[in-house]
Amino acid sequence: MLKKISTLLFALCMLCLLLASCGKKADMPSVYYLNFKPEQDEEWKELAAEYTEKTGIPVTVVTAASGNYEQTLTSEMDKKDAPTLFQVNGPVGLANWKDYCYNLEGSAILDELVSDTFTLKDDGKIYGVAYVIETYGIIYNKTLLNAYFNSDFSSVKSIEQLNNFAALKTVAEEIQAHKDALGVNGAFTSAGMDSSSDWRFKTHLANMPIYYEFKDRGITNTDAIEGKYLDNYREIWELYINNSTVSPTSLASKTATDAETEFKTGKAVFYQNGTWAYDSLKKDNGVGLSDGEFGMLPIYIGVAGEENQGLCTGSENYWCVNAKASEEDINATLDFLYWVVTSEEGTDELADDMGFVTPFKQAKTADNPLVRIADEYIANGKTSVSWNFSVIPSENWKNGVGTALTQYAAGTASWDSVVSAFVNGWKNEYAAANK
Amino acid sequence: MNKRQLSKYFPIFVLPAFAAFCVGFVYPFLHGIYLSFCNFRTTGDAKWVGLSNYIQAFTDRGFLYSFVFTVAFTLVSVVLINVLAFTVAYVLTSGIRGANIFRTVFFMPNLIGGVILGYIWQIIFDGILKNYATNIKLDSTLGFWGLVILLCWQQIGYMMIIYISGLNSIPDQLYEAAKVDGATKWQTLRKVTLPMMMPSITICTFLTLTNSFKLFDQNLALTAGEPGMQIGGETIYRTEMMALNIYNTFYQNLNSRGVGQAKAAIFFLLVAAIGLVQLYLTRRKEVEQ
Amino acid sequence: MTKRFSRTLTTVIMALISVVYLFPIFTVIMNSFKNKTAISASPFTFPDADTFVGLENYVRGVDFGGYPFIKSVAYSLLITVLSTVAILLFTSMAAWYITRVDNKVSRAIYYLCVFSMIVPFQMVMFTLSKTADTLNLGNPLGIVIVYLGFGAGLAIFMFSGFVKSIPREIEEAATIDGCGPVRTFFGIVFPIMKPTLISVGILETMWIWNDFLLPFLVLDIKEYRTIPIHIQYLNGSYGQTDIGAIMALIVLSIIPIVIFYFTCQKHIIKGIMAGAVKG
Repeated sequence: MLKKISTLLFALCMLCLLLASCGKKADMPSVYYLNFKPEQDEEWKELAAEYTEKTGIPVTVVTAASGNYEQTLTSEMDKKDAPTLFQVNGPVGLANWKDYCYNLEGSAILDELVSDTFTLKDDGKIYGVAYVIETYGIIYNKTLLNAYFNSDFSSVKSIEQLNNFAALKTVAEEIQAHKDALGVNGAFTSAGMDSSSDWRFKTHLANMPIYYEFKDRGITNTDAIEGKYLDNYREIWELYINNSTVSPTSLASKTATDAETEFKTGKAVFYQNGTWAYDSLKKDNGVGLSDGEFGMLPIYIGVAGEENQGLCTGSENYWCVNAKASEEDINATLDFLYWVVTSEEGTDELADDMGFVTPFKQAKTADNPLVRIADEYIANGKTSVSWNFSVIPSENWKNGVGTALTQYAAGTASWDSVVSAFVNGWKNEYAAANK
Repeated sequence: MNKRQLSKYFPIFVLPAFAAFCVGFVYPFLHGIYLSFCNFRTTGDAKWVGLSNYIQAFTDRGFLYSFVFTVAFTLVSVVLINVLAFTVAYVLTSGIRGANIFRTVFFMPNLIGGVILGYIWQIIFDGILKNYATNIKLDSTLGFWGLVILLCWQQIGYMMIIYISGLNSIPDQLYEAAKVDGATKWQTLRKVTLPMMMPSITICTFLTLTNSFKLFDQNLALTAGEPGMQIGGETIYRTEMMALNIYNTFYQNLNSRGVGQAKAAIFFLLVAAIGLVQLYLTRRKEVEQ
Repeated sequence: MTKRFSRTLTTVIMALISVVYLFPIFTVIMNSFKNKTAISASPFTFPDADTFVGLENYVRGVDFGGYPFIKSVAYSLLITVLSTVAILLFTSMAAWYITRVDNKVSRAIYYLCVFSMIVPFQMVMFTLSKTADTLNLGNPLGIVIVYLGFGAGLAIFMFSGFVKSIPREIEEAATIDGCGPVRTFFGIVFPIMKPTLISVGILETMWIWNDFLLPFLVLDIKEYRTIPIHIQYLNGSYGQTDIGAIMALIVLSIIPIVIFYFTCQKHIIKGIMAGAVKG
């Protein structure tokens, strides 16, 4: 009996080993997209499935965890079946991955771009294509904010007056003081510092002091940031954490879902986030905001002349095609991209389901009220804030600032540690990245 | 079995395991040693740089800090786990009712994997600490003790089993002799039980030593190294143990891989040193017996 | 204080400690039946009429995160069973050979195995995942080879120790009866090794079932997840975090281990003791 079992097991194992060593699928061009945006993971998977059904070309979409893109890309690029399509966040990302970026010159997708400015160039070669133009600011719930304007305790009475940091502070603090009257838990949603949410502050909010300093100094990048506007950064951060749905000490474990739920259920008036968040905030099964209830404010940090400041608009999402993939895979990837930005299904999905504004000629207008608001700011002559965080020297820098912000909020570290992470960290990381 | 007849069967008996052993250990190990002296982004473009990776590893404050943290953590957990596991084993072998049920209870957490354990405890700690307006990721002291509690919870059961079997193997005559000599319970424990238990104690000490020193899953899941501390623009993660520090060095980006591999080699030497001390001690014991 | 009284007292104290000891597991089970808000607001209270959601978390959990949980259970099972079987079979054969054929090669392999036991995974983590990828081992069958390779050291070491204690006469008798080495091994040696096979099997099963980093680095992330990888993904902020679903999945992932424990309790304890003696 035992003998039989042993023989059987032996045979089984041999079979397994055999299967394992030749378990490789047949050679066929395929596309592997390592997606950066967890918010649109499902939509990309749908689109991929549709394309595969149409053409028979397998398209795999994998989404990296928020805050883990660089890490996932690093280990995936090492594999034989590496991503054929990946993303870099701008010049700094490109510097890391240039060897892996296929020169897109002459590919059909370039002709589809509305402007040359949406390409990522280096040494006269085109390595990346921006595929989404995004805008962020402080999203607000119009119904709730109007309730505040109309209340007897409000000293700011209309959205027109809410055009600088002082006004924002007054509004936030008055809402916070009368939160029960308004039926909210706080003025701002929780500024969660879990990795699903911390990028809103260590990257997007950090863009504000970087933007103003670069503007003053007339530069677009630097090896040493001075931190001229860090006091403003502190003010806005304190405003967020002290006038929030939760106490500052509990932020370390608050997630993106927490903040989203608070805003969706009307428990907070303000929510710093961007156009990409529309999909998860809109009315769904009776919960969420109707299109007319969305509003978005620029992030005012108390800089002179900020009445004319607009929203933060830019892109940190550049598509790059893996130059080390096989030629068939590269072509399949380019075909897929071309299909995404030109076909009915692709443009529909990009605009309607993902809510993206894309810089392509055939792009549909996104049915996204946040995008419309962003357009209005530009039409009204406000100066958009550019996305300077794409020159942040490394992910380490962001993590350092993030953990310092968390601890400052909890009272376990002083503001100096944020300054140190911001200023000295920049110098160190810049030096390490440009050795 | 005729040795010469059998020796022809190498391909059938040894080759499958040995081939896999080469794939799964020998080659990666040698390759890893080589790469620790190289600068590389992918294994194909490795360039020999001599000791520079090691120098960088030794001057990396985050790595040195993780070493100190790991040593402190290891010392505390080894003592706690062994004292507690021994106590539990001692009580369970003293003839109390339901010893089997208790044994099951204490052993149960050991069956749960490190990542899942980490998240279970995160919920518990979050739930308790939010009443004190803090969080396991905010305070390195809490993080330290959180990890210690987690590891104790997981390992006590395993060590307890070894101690129970050690206690059960002590011959009854010794206890009877001690009784005849009028020894108190405490004296019996010190003069009879403990000396007889030395082999078990050595084994458990080393098992806990290496387990704590190499801790990774639990560290990743419970604190992920947080909180960070600023030293001149460098962020040092205050609950990051060596294994996690090495992992982060490797997979953060492409530029620091050589350093990561050098750190791994240093880590290997440390673990190997512990292993050799253990081997030496157990060998000596065997000779004495 | 009578002896009986003190014994009862100890039992009571131990019972109390046991309750505390199992408290984390109770908490998770309890929370898996509560709604999301209640879990984060008051994790230590029993579900009440308002917060009780029945099996809702479980229903959501099984396909939460865009990956069916059952798939990760299946992969975990497949990988654990196949790897353990492969390790037991091939290393016991190898151990018998290198113990019986005591030449330079055998001794070299034996010492390599002992050596491999003290090498931490971090040392080979990068190169091993690279090698596995080159050889197409990033699937549930291929990873069996990786486990066989990385786990071979300890297993060969333990089996060798046991083979040394088997009297050669038994094997010689078989040879005289005309059995070749293969038949001798499977007919005589393998059955004798049964206790050690079970011990090693238990140790390997517990290791592989709970292992996170090796499969995380080796398996193709496009397709395969084991249970620990899946749980790590769900917590690692891939879009939505759903604490209720995570609670439910943690409970579901503990159930198979508990069943395993109760079916082979005796062997598990023996396995640990055997593993401990060899250190």
